Parts: sequence; structure tokens; C-alpha cells
Amino acid sequence: MSKSDDSPSMALIVRKDLGLSAGKMAVQCSHAAVSCTMASRKTNSRLMERWLNGGARKICLKVDDLQSLQRLAGQAQAAGLVTHLVKDAGHTEVEPGTITVLGIGPAPRRSIDAITSQLKPY
Amino acid sequence: MGIRSIIHKMTAPSQYGESPSGPVKLVLIVNNGLKMGKGKIAAQAGHASVQATLKAGEKSPLILQSWLSSGQKKICLKGDDADHLLVLEKQAKEAGLLTSKIHDAGHTQIPSGSLTVLAIGPCQDELVEKITENLKLL
Repeated sequence: MSKSDDSPSMALIVRKDLGLSAGKMAVQCSHAAVSCTMASRKTNSRLMERWLNGGARKICLKVDDLQSLQRLAGQAQAAGLVTHLVKDAGHTEVEPGTITVLGIGPAPRRSIDAITSQLKPY
Repeated sequence: MGIRSIIHKMTAPSQYGESPSGPVKLVLIVNNGLKMGKGKIAAQAGHASVQATLKAGEKSPLILQSWLSSGQKKICLKGDDADHLLVLEKQAKEAGLLTSKIHDAGHTQIPSGSLTVLAIGPCQDELVEKITENLKLL
């Protein structure tokens, strides 16, 4: 990765301990992506535009459990990034209110990497 | 505000088309002919959802509002291949529904330009169900 590549990106971080199906995971990640997009439209619309025009880059990562997810959410918030924790309505697969996915961004890639560099792609 | 203007406001047709009468959802149809991993599918579905949301913001803001405030209901189904997705897209367009197609940039896993996901909606459940009733859940 070149150092100049600081175009905005979005990270979708999934709890792997829930063992979500592909479809469920897609829906939960979509939820995070839409909520983060809507939130950043209000707080930082220029960055959001830049992200959209650059292909709305997204990456899907995994963490072991809820604690890891919450710790990352705290770090991202402390860094001033847009975050959204998805709480499932629990119609299928998981208990109602289960936190499934954390969305971070859109934010400069460097800021996201600083928080997520230890995580593996899902 | 006088009583007449209140009544007028309640009964006047909206500037942005009709408000939906009933539950609304977004349907994501994944190209199951491509061998994408779970994370890849999730990212592609995310693209489709964001694009569908922004499109609805321009073309049917009342439906978007109703969808966002009712918990962004989404469902993920599988299509056989790219041609299948295109057929569904055509049917949805003919029914006057919003569609968004995602073509992958091809950085990972699959050939560049592959059609990965088709989004239909957000729109009223029964309108999209007519088109997608034979599809299986992913």
C-alpha cells in the first residue's frame, strides 16, 4: 500500500463468535454501512462525497467477540470517527438486541488502519 | 395555522410521490454463480444498500424515511448468475421500483466488472415480493 493512498474507506467489523450465515452477515453489514453513511452525511459531508466518488471502499473484518467489538468502537469514537453498532432485531438466528457488527467510517484510510490493522479480513 | 390549511396539508398529494402504505423493505440479491467469500458478499451488499439508500433519497424520500424509521428492513436472497439478476432488474424497473446494480472493481476474489449484487427498493413489501417470491434466502 502506498503512503499517498489515504482515500476514505469504511470498515465493517463482524463478530465471528455468532457464526452468522452469509445472508445474515450481508444484511447486518449493510445496516452498518447505511447507518454510517447517513450519519456522516450530517457530520462530514465532504468526506462522504469523496468516499463515494472514490468507489465507496469497504472492507469486512472479523473479531472474536463482543468485548473486542466494543473496545474498537471506543477507540474509533475517541479518534473522532463515525461509528455505528448494529443491534439485531433478532427475528432470526440470534437473540433480540445482540450486537453483531461495528461500522467505522467513512474516514481516511490511515485513521481506520490505525485502529483495525490487527484484524483479519472475514 | 387555520383548520383549512391543516386539512389541506393532510390531504394534499406530496411533492415527492406517495407515502408508502404498509411495511417497506430493501431486497439484496446476490449473484450466487460467483464464488465469493462471506466477507466479500457482505461488502458488496453494503455497497448496494448505500447506493439504494442514496438513490431513494433523491427519487422517493418519503419511502426512504419510512424505511429508515422502521428499522431498515433488509433481506438477502440468491440469484443464479448475472443474467438472472438482469432479468430481475428488468422486472423491477417495469414495476416502477428503484434498482441498484453493483459491479465489483475486482481487487480480490473475482474477475473485474462482475455483477455481484442487485438491490431492489426500498419499497413496499408486496411490490417487490411479486418479483422475488421464487428466490431462496442466502
